[in-house]
Amino acid sequence: MKDSVRSLLQKVAFVAVLLAAWEIAARAHVFGPRSEIIFPTLEAVGAAFVKNFAKGYAGVTLWVYLANSMKLLLAGMGIGIGMAFLCSGLSMVSRTFHNLYSLLVAVADLLPGVALLPVVIIIFGVKPGVIVFLVVHSVVWPMSRNLIDGFRAVPRLYVEAGMNIGLSRAGLLFGIYIPAAMSYILSGLKVGWARAWRGLISAEMIFGIASAPGIGLFINQMRTNMNNAEMYATLVVIIIIGLIVQYGILNPIEKHTVGKWGMRKS
Amino acid sequence: MKKMLAMLLAALLLLACASAASAEDAARLTIAYQYGLAYAPLVVAQTEKFIEQAYDGALEIEWVQMSSGADINTGVMSGSVDVGFMGVGPAITGISKNVSYKIFTNLSGQEHGLMTNDESLRTYDDIIDSYSQIALVNIGSIQHIILAKSLADNGFDPHALDASLVAMKHPDGMSALLAGSVPLHLTTSPYIYRERETEGLHEIEALREAWPKENSFIVGVAAIALYDENRPLYDALCAGIADAIDYVNGHVEATAALTSQYDGNSVEDEAAWLRLGNYDTATGGVEAMARFMYENAFIEADPGSYADLVFDNVRGD
Amino acid sequence: MTALLKIENLSKVYDDDSREHAVIDNLSLEVEQGEFLCILGPSGCGKTTLLRCIAGFERCRGRILVDGREIAGPGTDRIMVFQDFNQLFPWLTVERNIQYALKCQGVRDRRKLADIAADVLAKVKMSGFEKHYPYQLSGGMKQRVAIAKALALKPAIILMDEPFAALDAITRNTLQQEVLAISRQEKCTIIFITHNIQEGIVLGTRLMLMQHGGRVAMDLRNPIPRPVSPSSPGYGALWDRMHAALYATQEV
Repeated sequence: MKDSVRSLLQKVAFVAVLLAAWEIAARAHVFGPRSEIIFPTLEAVGAAFVKNFAKGYAGVTLWVYLANSMKLLLAGMGIGIGMAFLCSGLSMVSRTFHNLYSLLVAVADLLPGVALLPVVIIIFGVKPGVIVFLVVHSVVWPMSRNLIDGFRAVPRLYVEAGMNIGLSRAGLLFGIYIPAAMSYILSGLKVGWARAWRGLISAEMIFGIASAPGIGLFINQMRTNMNNAEMYATLVVIIIIGLIVQYGILNPIEKHTVGKWGMRKS
Repeated sequence: MKKMLAMLLAALLLLACASAASAEDAARLTIAYQYGLAYAPLVVAQTEKFIEQAYDGALEIEWVQMSSGADINTGVMSGSVDVGFMGVGPAITGISKNVSYKIFTNLSGQEHGLMTNDESLRTYDDIIDSYSQIALVNIGSIQHIILAKSLADNGFDPHALDASLVAMKHPDGMSALLAGSVPLHLTTSPYIYRERETEGLHEIEALREAWPKENSFIVGVAAIALYDENRPLYDALCAGIADAIDYVNGHVEATAALTSQYDGNSVEDEAAWLRLGNYDTATGGVEAMARFMYENAFIEADPGSYADLVFDNVRGD
Repeated sequence: MTALLKIENLSKVYDDDSREHAVIDNLSLEVEQGEFLCILGPSGCGKTTLLRCIAGFERCRGRILVDGREIAGPGTDRIMVFQDFNQLFPWLTVERNIQYALKCQGVRDRRKLADIAADVLAKVKMSGFEKHYPYQLSGGMKQRVAIAKALALKPAIILMDEPFAALDAITRNTLQQEVLAISRQEKCTIIFITHNIQEGIVLGTRLMLMQHGGRVAMDLRNPIPRPVSPSSPGYGALWDRMHAALYATQEV
């Protein structure tokens, strides 16, 4: 059997076992007399999944929430990745900048975004920009860490070969450092994406703007209204999007870059 | 290695025996509550052991602090929480969802206020016309419903301001209001008292009347199973909470001394705020609130009449 | 006629923690157009440092002039072929490795790029490997592509730092013959570092021996007419002489 088929089968079997365990637990009412509300069956979650997209909550479907979240997420990731490239690039040029920036990365990466929320609201005001800021915060530090590590690990040989063929400083960054650090960049993207997605939802759960409602607010509303099946169905949506990004975007990028180049980090 | 395992096993066995022994002769009750001055009688009941005293026999109470009514609802449904204290909104939501509990007592009523830092905002017309954002604790929370009710009382669409809401915790909302990040903040005690004392802020008067402090704000719910199966314990619970409420009303300074340890405010402030609150076992406006929530789509199922909402020993409306 | 490469009073000092350590000490050297200079010497004698100074990778004292102009850093008039097989960019195909270097020089015409790449790859006998990625090539093949890349840029001087040292003996011999043929065909100027006497005698039109401290111990024109093989008259004598000199330098 081919390895990829085998690996896929294993994953499918694993998910099937988990779902079966869920269903058995739901049907056995293991969580008390009102178990069906807090621990709904797969059928109920499936129906809620359809309902979320078809009907939604208070006349607003989950699509709207999802679109809002995605807009903020993309803006935040774009800014975060851009900033990480800029600052990591600068810290390859200036020793002083590198020293200060490494300290900033080490400190800022420890701060949970939602703990910064009150300060961010005071600075930015009550705007969707607050969520964007928190997404940037969750992306920029792990991404920078990976980029700096990746740039530092670029063999001197590539840099000299690049200088030899007449590359300028900018040429070296785009022509040598970035492709040579690609495996680090990709792992930075993976970590950054996961943190951004999680950070977005947790920020939206405690800071919800009704005029630009996001998926985190939807979860919170479902929770407040005790619509647990709808809440679980929304978590399924979150997982599906995560898988799409992982298997539909990040893995193909990896395959077509470091995979094709024989540069995969072992 | 074997020795350590044996010791561990022995310790576990001992623990199991000990807990089994204590479970045998003592009744147990798990009470979930939330943080804040509106829950002051519970701090008293806990430290003065009012419920234990009202119960004829050994009683072990586990007090659990949770962060939202939704969490407490989940706890009651899973059977791990017997008694919970929460806003009247989530309690009605829970009853309409068949969480198999009912209200067994009122706990407190508090003032609500809608404060603004914008001179030009005086009436709902001003707010609706200017699309000004309103910070409150959660969309679908009791504060949101009070706003909707106030809008309806004043002849507006109850959902007219839904798109202007921003969900933020009370203290975050207050700092956002003070910093000018948000023009309006709908909040309750003690934040509302602080904001009223702050220069440069004024109150939107229309909201004050919507849900006065004589109405229920925080209520206690108890599992129907407790009422049906262990009436003496249920009665002790009701009596203990009633005693605690009496104590708060009769010994404001002593209560303030107790609660200020948890809140970090001065005893004088706490005492003043306690006097501004309304601590009473009788409910107020619960049925009206339930009807309003049902009629304005805050809940999907009809919660029924007052008798469906509360146990038969509860007074009020 | 002035020399293509002129080095005047070159010194290179490495700063160890405690003391300064001269790798090259006041070295002067001239290389004529078309010369194939092989530099031999014991490990640590500064021959690689000398090459890196010429390439512009190292800061040093003294002057280095190419075609009468003083160099200021790396440039495409001096292309380096490193010892390390991994000098090709792994994210580019063989063809693109060569074309990328040309593009950096402003060659934009796609047909021209393709023609040059095909031409130089044919010279190193690597036709047919255009679309391969470097990780799919053997060490010897990678070195051929590196040489092709150098040829494509038409530099004034090709600098080779023991390019075949890590290859097996058979591959090394083949590559030596090819480099020799190319150097005669293209009439290019090559400075070639090796610690292998045979390689030096076979390839070099001029042989230079360096000793510790970066001084020139011996500098002579290769008297044996090309093509040189171990059976060429005078090969044995030259080998013995170089060998003795090399050992003499090592005893310092």
